[in-house]
Amino acid sequence: MTNHLFPLLQLCDSNFPSGAFSHSFGFETYIQEQLITDKASFAQALTVYLRKQLVFTDGLACSLAYEALDRKAEGDLLEADRLLFVSTLAQETRTGNRRIGERMAKLCVELYPSPVLIDYLTAIKEKRASGHSAIVFAAVAHHLKVPEETAIGTYLFASISSLVQNGVRGIPLGQTDGQRIMVDIQPNIDKAVKMIVGLIKDDFGAVSPGLEIAQMRHERMHVRLFMS
Amino acid sequence: MMTYTGVLKLQAKKKDQKTIISSCYYEGALKLTRPVYLEENSPSLYLIHVGGGYVDGDTYITSLAVEDGAELAVTTQSSTKVYRTPKKPVYQRMDVRLGKGSVLEFFPDPLIAYEGARFIQETSVQLEEESCLFFSDIITPGWAEDGSFFQYDWIRSKLKVFNGEKLLIFDHLMLEPDDEMAGMMQMDHYTHVGTFLIFHQKASKEFLDTLYETLADKFEEVRFGLSALPEGGLMVRILASNTGTIEKLIEHAHAFARKELLGKESVRWRKY
Repeated sequence: MTNHLFPLLQLCDSNFPSGAFSHSFGFETYIQEQLITDKASFAQALTVYLRKQLVFTDGLACSLAYEALDRKAEGDLLEADRLLFVSTLAQETRTGNRRIGERMAKLCVELYPSPVLIDYLTAIKEKRASGHSAIVFAAVAHHLKVPEETAIGTYLFASISSLVQNGVRGIPLGQTDGQRIMVDIQPNIDKAVKMIVGLIKDDFGAVSPGLEIAQMRHERMHVRLFMS
Repeated sequence: MMTYTGVLKLQAKKKDQKTIISSCYYEGALKLTRPVYLEENSPSLYLIHVGGGYVDGDTYITSLAVEDGAELAVTTQSSTKVYRTPKKPVYQRMDVRLGKGSVLEFFPDPLIAYEGARFIQETSVQLEEESCLFFSDIITPGWAEDGSFFQYDWIRSKLKVFNGEKLLIFDHLMLEPDDEMAGMMQMDHYTHVGTFLIFHQKASKEFLDTLYETLADKFEEVRFGLSALPEGGLMVRILASNTGTIEKLIEHAHAFARKELLGKESVRWRKY
C-alpha cells in the first residue's frame, strides 16, 4: 500500500470501535474530585499525561514493538506486551487495556491482516499475551510500512483524541473546546515522539505515582461514567 | 570485579520449628544486628549502614534468601539518607529469593534524598506460589538548606517480582522534581511516596476489599490507592506530606495482613 494516510485516519477515528470510549484511565477520578473542571485544567492534565505517562508506557511500548518488528524479533513483541501488562498496577486500567487491545487485534486482523498480527491475536487467545492497543498499532503500522515516528505520533494522537472525546462527555466540555485542545496539543505530541525515539527499554514504565493512585481510586468510586 | 561500598548476603533456613540465620556475610558499609527473636520461632534482623549515609557514587548490594518454610523479618536501624551526588548517582541493588512456604516481611525505614541527590534502586524478588512477601518502601525528600522540600535531582526505583521466568509485576517509579512534579497525576500536591506490597496465596479479592475498608477514612492528609496485581497479590500506594502518616497506614495494613493471612499478632520493632 502506498497511501498510509487513509488507514491511519481510520485507526484514529473516534468512531473506530476499539472500546476506548468506555475508559478514562483515571481521569474520571480527577473529574469527580473537581480537579479537572474546564478546558484549561483538562488541557493541562492531558499535557502532563502525555509527557509523563504515555511517553514512558504506551508510547515507548509502541516504539519498542515497532523496532522489534524491524529486527524481525517477534519474541520481543510479546516482551513489550508483558511489560505493559505487569507494569499497570491498577487492575481496572489493566483490564481495560487488555480488552481494548484484544478488540483492536481482532478488528485489525480483519481489516489489515498480516502474519505478525495474526500471531499476536493467537498469542492473546492462548494467553501467551495480554493484548494492548500499542502493540496492535505498531504491528499494523509496520505492516503498512508507515515510518516509525509517524506511527508513534498517530498512536499518541489517537489515545489523546479518545480521552478528549471522553472529557467532552464527562466534564462536560463544549465540542469546540475539545477540538481546540486537539489543536493545542499537537506540538506536544511531536515533542513526545522525539522523546520516545530517544528512550531505551530501561526507561520503560518510569512514571510518578499520582495517576496510578487515581486509577486505583476509580475502582472504589460509586457513581461512574467510565469503566476505568 | 566491581567493588561495592557495601555488600550484605544472608540466608535464613528452617530448622525444626525455628528459623535460623544459616549464613551471613557482609563487608564495607553494610552490617546487621544479631537476630532478635521477637517471636518464638522467627527472627527479626536490623540492617545497619555504618556511616552517616549514602554519598556520591556509592554502590550497595544486598541479597536475602529465605529457604523453604523459613520466616524472616527485616528492617533497618534508621532511615537511609542519600546526600548530594555531583559525579555519580548512588546505586543500590537488592535480590530476594523466597522458597516454598517461606515468609519475608521487609519493612525498612524511609529513604531520605537530600539536595542534589540522584539515586537508583533496583530490587528483584524471586518467589513461588506458596511464598509470602510483605514489602514496604517509603521515599521522602530531605529538607534543603532553605527549608523547602524537593531538592533532590531524581530517584529511580525499579521493583521486579518473578515466579521462575515469569515476570509478575514491574513497578518503576521515577521521581524528578520540576515545575510540574507537585501537580496532578504526579505527586498530587504531596511530597512523600509509600508502597506496601503483599504476595500471599490467601490475598483474595475479599481480603483486598476488607483491607480497603479498614484503611478508608482512617488516615487524614493522605491519598492512597489499593489494587489487585496481575498475577495475585496486591499493592497499596500512598501519597502524603510526611513520613509518619505513611508509616501509620502501612503499619495498620501490615498488622491486618499479618492477622488475616498469617494468623499472627503484630510485632513492634523496638529501635531507639
